[in-house]
Amino acid sequence: MRKLTTAMMAGVAMSAMLSTAALAEGKVIGVSWSNFQEERWKTDEAAMKGAIEANGDKYISADAQASAAKQLSDVESLITQGVDALVILSVDKDAIGPAIDKAAAEGIPVIGYDRLIEDNRAFYLTFDNKGVGRIIAQEVTKVVPEGNFAIIKGDKGDPNALFLLEGMMEVIGANVDAGKIKIVGETFTDGWKPDNAQKNMEQILTANNNAVDAVLAENDGMAGGVIAALTAQGMAGTVPVGGQDGDLAALNRVARGTQTVSVWKDARQLGAAAGNIAAALADGAMMSDVEGAVKWSGGEKGVEMDAIFLDPTPITKDNINVVIEAGHISKEQACEGAMDGVVGCN
Amino acid sequence: MNRLLLAMASAAIAVLANGVAGAEPAVPSFVEETASDGISTVYSGEWEFMVGGGAAAFDCSGDGFPDLFLAGGASHAGFYRNISRQGGELRFEKQASGLELEAVTGAYALDIDSDGIKDLVLLRVGENVVMRGRGNCRFERANEMWGFDGGDAWSTALAATWEDGADFPAIAVGNYIDRREEGFPWGSCTDNWLHRAEGARFAAPMPLKPSHCALSMLFTDWNRSGTPSLRVSNDREYYKGGQEQLWRIEAGAEPYLYSAADGWERLRIWGMGIAGYDLNFDGYQEYFLTSMADNKLQTLTKPTPGTSPGPAYTDAAFAKGVTAHRPYAGENVKPSTAWHAQFEDMNNDGLADLFIAKGNVAAMPDFAMEDPNNLLLQKTDGSFAEAGDRAGIGSTAISRGAVIADFNLDGMLDLAVVNRWVEAQLWRNTGLDNANWIQIRPLQPRRNRDAIGGWIEVKRGDVVMRREITVGGGHAGGHLGWWHFGLGGQTEAQTRIVWPDGEAGAWEELRAGHFYTIERGRGAARWQPG
Repeated sequence: MRKLTTAMMAGVAMSAMLSTAALAEGKVIGVSWSNFQEERWKTDEAAMKGAIEANGDKYISADAQASAAKQLSDVESLITQGVDALVILSVDKDAIGPAIDKAAAEGIPVIGYDRLIEDNRAFYLTFDNKGVGRIIAQEVTKVVPEGNFAIIKGDKGDPNALFLLEGMMEVIGANVDAGKIKIVGETFTDGWKPDNAQKNMEQILTANNNAVDAVLAENDGMAGGVIAALTAQGMAGTVPVGGQDGDLAALNRVARGTQTVSVWKDARQLGAAAGNIAAALADGAMMSDVEGAVKWSGGEKGVEMDAIFLDPTPITKDNINVVIEAGHISKEQACEGAMDGVVGCN
Repeated sequence: MNRLLLAMASAAIAVLANGVAGAEPAVPSFVEETASDGISTVYSGEWEFMVGGGAAAFDCSGDGFPDLFLAGGASHAGFYRNISRQGGELRFEKQASGLELEAVTGAYALDIDSDGIKDLVLLRVGENVVMRGRGNCRFERANEMWGFDGGDAWSTALAATWEDGADFPAIAVGNYIDRREEGFPWGSCTDNWLHRAEGARFAAPMPLKPSHCALSMLFTDWNRSGTPSLRVSNDREYYKGGQEQLWRIEAGAEPYLYSAADGWERLRIWGMGIAGYDLNFDGYQEYFLTSMADNKLQTLTKPTPGTSPGPAYTDAAFAKGVTAHRPYAGENVKPSTAWHAQFEDMNNDGLADLFIAKGNVAAMPDFAMEDPNNLLLQKTDGSFAEAGDRAGIGSTAISRGAVIADFNLDGMLDLAVVNRWVEAQLWRNTGLDNANWIQIRPLQPRRNRDAIGGWIEVKRGDVVMRREITVGGGHAGGHLGWWHFGLGGQTEAQTRIVWPDGEAGAWEELRAGHFYTIERGRGAARWQPG
C-alpha cells in the first residue's frame, strides 16, 4: 500500500512536469509570500523557483511580512510588474479578496498556495490533510491488521483532530464494525501536548491490562508521549505507533523502531507543483484542465473550486533516506541508535 | 554682496531645519518609574483572564490629579491614590477604596448619578458591579440602588452615553465567550447588553443580538448626526458568522444594526480595542482598531456634498504606516498581538500620536512572544513613525490595558500599562521644553456632568482640533478627566465646547500651559492644583 501511494504521488509530480514541457517559455510567475522570514517557506521557495526556471519562466516574489494590508499592495505591485500568473500564500483568507479582484480584472490566474483562498477564480493547491489520518492507519494496519487499537486524538477544540480521525476511520472503520479491530481507548489530548498524551496512554494501558496491540496518534509529539508510556511497560517497539509531522525526534524513533510511521509533507513537492501549475495557467490553460485537478467545495462557504491535493509521504524504516536526501534532517540525527535494516542509515 | 549671500544661506538653513523637523516628529522621552511608583497590581489568572486587564484613570480625591484603578484578574483589583506633585516624579499610594473586588477584567469611570463624584463600573468574570463614588475615593456597591443587573457573563467591553433627555446614562456591556464552554469555546459568544436609563436608575438590560464576542465598544457620533452610535469590535477567533458592528441607538427606539445595505462593509478582525480621533480635521472621527497582525485605521468615505454620510470606511492603516503588524524591534518574524490603543499628543506638537499595548495571548507559537508596545508619532503629512524604543516605552511584557493621562499635571502625558502575570508599569513623560499644551474639563450643571457625547474644539493655525468626549473604547478601560491638546509653538488658542445636545459655546481665547474648566453657560475658568 505504501508503494502504491508513493507511485501515485510520483505520478502527480511527473504529469505536472510533462504537461509543462510543451509550454511557451518566458512567462513571469509572481509569488506573494505571507511571511517569508519564517524558516519553513525557504524549502517551498527553492522548489518553486527551481520548477519555474526549469520551465524557462521567470520567478519574481514579494514578502507581505505577515501584513494582510501589505500583501494587497504586494500583489498590486506584482501585477504592475507584468506577471502572467500569481501564486499567493495568503496572510488572511478574509482580507485577500481585493487582490483576487485585481488579478481577475487583469485576466491573471491565481493559485492559492497551501492556504485556501475560497474564491472560484483561484486554484487551490495543498496537501491532502484528510489523507494524513488515512496514511497513519494504513501504515499501522500493515504491521498489525487486527486487534486492540488505541486512538490518541488532538485537542478537542481543533477541527483538525476530527479530520484526522475521519481519515483513520476510512481505513479501519469496516474492521471495527466487523469486530476485527476493537477500539479499547479513544481520547482527546488537551493542547496536543505530549505529556497529556502520555497520561492518557497510561490510563488506557491500565484499563486494559496492557492488552493494546496498536496505537494511532494524530501527531508525532503525542506519538512520543505514547511511546514513553509504552516504554515504561517494556512494550515500546513491539506495539506499532503512527504519527505525523516529520518531527525530527519522531524520525529518529522510526529509525530506532519505536515508532512505525511519521507522515511527512514534502514541501518540495508542493513548491514544484505550484511552479508547474502556474506555468500551465500562464500559458492559458483553464483551471479545470490542469492535470490532476479535481472539483472541491469543502471550504467554509462551499464555493466550488479546482484543486489539487498532494498526498503526504509516509516515512518508515523503509525510506528514511527520503527525508535525509531532502535535507529535512541530517543522517546523524535521523540514524542515531538506528536498528538494523533502516533504509538510509546504513 | 557678502552679507546678502550670508542672509540667503541662513534662510536656506532655516528652511532645511524646518523641513527636517516637519518630516521627523520630536521624540518625547519617558522615564520608567515602575520601581518607585507605589503600584503593585498584576493582572493574574488563566484562560478567563486571557483578555481584559483594563486601567481606569479618574480623579476621586478632588485634587485634580488622576487616580488609578487597575484590574487584577483572578486576584484583587487595586486602587491607587495619586500623591504626585505637579511636575514631580509619579507617586501613588495604595488605598482601600471598596473597589478591590476579585475577577475584575476592566473598569470605566463616569458620573452615573450626576452628583459631581465619579462612579466606576467594574467589568468582571461573573457579576458586573456599579460602584457609587462617595467622595474621598470611597466607593460602595450600587447595583440594587440603581437597578443595575450585573449578569453572570464574561464581560470585556463597555461604552456609555446619555440618551436624549435621560437622567441616567445608557451603558452598553460587551460579553465574551460562554466561560462554561471551556472545552469548545468556538461559536459560544454570549449576548452583549444595553442598560438604558429608566428615570434615575437602569431599566432591565436589553440583549443586543447578534453578539460576536466583543472586546471593545465605543459610543461615537461617527456621522455627526447629534446621536452617537455604538461601535463594537469583535474577536473573530470565537464568533461564527460575525463581523465588526455598528448599532444606531436612538432614544426610545429599538437598536438598529447597520448592514451592507447601508454601506457598512463586512470586516472580520480579532478586534480588541477601539481608539477614535479626528486625525484629518474634517469633523469626522477616524477609528483605529487593534487586532492580531494588521491593525486597522478607518477613515470615513466622504459623502457627496449636501448628503449625510453612510457608514462606509476605507482602511488607511497601510498608507499611514500604522499597521504595526510585527514587532519593530527584537525578534520580528512573527506577527504582533495588539490590545489597548489610544490617540494622544505625546510630544505636544499639535498632532495626535498613537499608543498601542502589545502582548501574546499567552504563548501562541504563531505570534511574537517579545512584542514591544508601540508609540507611533504623527508626522505633518499625516503618516506615523515608530518611536516606542526611542521614547523608552517599548516594554515587551505581555501587555493588555493601558491609560495615558497627565499624572503629574505638567502638561506632558504619562503612561500606565497593565500586564498579564507581571506588575503594571508606569512611565513619566519628561517631554520637550518648548512645546505648548492646554487641558480642558467641560462641566454641565445638572445631568451628564462631564458632557459625555460633546466635543472640545481648539484652533491651531488653520485647523480646528476636535476631541469627542467619550466613555468607552480602548481595551477594558480608559481615562476621564482632563482632555489634553498639544499646541506646538502656539501660546494661546481659541477654544470652545460643543455640548452633547449640539449647542456650541462661545470661542474663548485661552493661554497655553494651563488647565481650564469650562462650565456650560459660564465659560472658561483657569484651574491650578493646590
